[in-house]
Amino acid sequence: MIRLLNIEFKKVIYNKTFWVLLGLYGIILGGILIGVQTFINELMVDVGKDAPIPVSKISLYEFPGIWQNFTFLAGNFKIILAMIVIIIITNEYSYKTIRQNIVTGMSRMDFLMSKLLMTFVISLAATIFIFILGFILGVINTPEVTFLMIFEKTVFIFAYLLELFAFLSFALLLGLLSKRSGFAIGLFFLYYYVIERFINYKLPDDWGDFLPLRAIANLIDTPNTALMKLFGYNFREVVAPQDVIVVLSFTALFIYLMFLILKKRDL
Amino acid sequence: MSEVVLSIDKLSKRYGRIKALDELSLDIEKGNIFGILGPNGSGKTTTLGIVLDAINATSGSFKWFGETPTKNHRKKIGAILESPVFYPYMSATKNLEIIAEIKSASYDQIPEVLKTVDLFERRNSKFRTYSLGMKQRLAIAAALLGKPEVLILDEPTNGLDPKGISEIRDIIKKIASVGLTLVLASHLLDEVQKVCTHVAILEKGKKLFSGRINEILKETLYVEVGSPDMKALHASLSIFNKVQIVEADDNVIAVKLDEKMDSSELNKYLLEKGISISHISIKKKSLENYFLELLAESHDKTS
Ligand SMILES: Nc1ncnc2c1ncn2[C@@H]1O[C@H](COP(=O)(O)OP(=O)(O)O)[C@@H](O)[C@H]1O
Ligand SMILES: [Mg+2]
Repeated sequence: MIRLLNIEFKKVIYNKTFWVLLGLYGIILGGILIGVQTFINELMVDVGKDAPIPVSKISLYEFPGIWQNFTFLAGNFKIILAMIVIIIITNEYSYKTIRQNIVTGMSRMDFLMSKLLMTFVISLAATIFIFILGFILGVINTPEVTFLMIFEKTVFIFAYLLELFAFLSFALLLGLLSKRSGFAIGLFFLYYYVIERFINYKLPDDWGDFLPLRAIANLIDTPNTALMKLFGYNFREVVAPQDVIVVLSFTALFIYLMFLILKKRDL
Repeated sequence: MSEVVLSIDKLSKRYGRIKALDELSLDIEKGNIFGILGPNGSGKTTTLGIVLDAINATSGSFKWFGETPTKNHRKKIGAILESPVFYPYMSATKNLEIIAEIKSASYDQIPEVLKTVDLFERRNSKFRTYSLGMKQRLAIAAALLGKPEVLILDEPTNGLDPKGISEIRDIIKKIASVGLTLVLASHLLDEVQKVCTHVAILEKGKKLFSGRINEILKETLYVEVGSPDMKALHASLSIFNKVQIVEADDNVIAVKLDEKMDSSELNKYLLEKGISISHISIKKKSLENYFLELLAESHDKTS
């Protein structure tokens, strides 16, 4: 396993597109997470002027709320990571190196495993990034930090890891299916923003929660900030076991489909 | 004692209606320099792709070193399938490190194999910047990593200029002299003839001939026979073990005779079978001519 991962790292380390997209992801997400509080508070001041009840400034950065706030916000940017994963797999087809890898002595399952490991490492790295950023901003901005406070809601961190891995597994599947990056990315956007939403709209009531990307998005619900309360919303502050089960099942299904495709297809 | 390295048993591959391979059987023994010769589209790459697990066979089976094939066999095989394939944004050395990693081979061999193909000076240039000849040589270097017992080269001189071709042939001869088993697929008779000890000739996915290379050059007597009842003729000839059908169309069947046979004996056999003969003639033809005819035919079709 270490050897497979090592091979993946070697493939990626000189790949400019990989680093550009990863850098873009880090800068955009980091910038937004650091700037979001100031932005929202400015907004609150505006909204608060005409509000019937006084609106207090919010702190997104206080433990333990920060974990849900951050993982929820970060969830919107995972599409960049999906593009990275799609490029990693479709490159192997456009360069035909998948064929060379197998001919040289990888089994088809080794190949799948190496890509899944890489996908997991990307998910893990992105999760650790959020954790570190959250930890630093949390310690700075929480008035009285206690150990318990910090770790009280870290379940969101684990949910985020699952969210990323499931989402990126779907990206990997699309990349493997279509072999071409442009096509795969197009397909991804089409499914994400059009097809699944349309199916959801057509399905009765809660059935949409069983659609893959929707279930993945459901893992971490919108945080209940003062702003949201102002608009009369009340969201879940826990991770629902049902969502976890649905997402895990879909992830297993994606991996199984990739296994079948790789086994059956000529390279 | 000869040891079979690769044994192929009734391998077939269909692409929709196209039969790319049709019940191909073949044995390659240890130490053979084995040529797979056939015009473009005859199924050479398909055969090699299947035994290297890049392509799934429709039916049939094959064994490496007498065993059911696994990835570990492939680690003992150095192979180039069609055009050279590497990560374009990486240098030769880095690309070979990936290959070494997959083959569980030591990085120490990398300078050595790069020197063998005369690419050591350019080891740090990106693959993208290489000429076709250099790419092909790098592919050979990659195939040599891990000290393989078998080397498979699929059209290694395809698309190269004369200088590139002679460079590759020199490398092949150098490799062939160290005693490993080499499989060389090519549509060029000349290429196969120069280096190979054994050859199999493919056409349209079928094996026409396999044996020692010197047999291909030997002139053989062919007899062409025609009959009003071609079906019956074909049936009788195919069960007659002293002749071998080499070509058949609607009007005439060409057969190769056994060493001690002559055409009158064939005539007698067919009469006994109650087959009337409308045409019989003796032709002298070497397999070489035969192969060239095949080639010409396939060129007519493509041009
Ligand atoms: N992926 C494919 N899809 C459809 N037909 C194919 C494919 N690959 C090869 N073929 C067909 O199979 C036959 C054998 O091809 P190939 O093994 O590449 O021949 P060779 O290597 O001897 O030139 C040809 O008719 C070719 O057109
Ligand atoms: Mg070919």
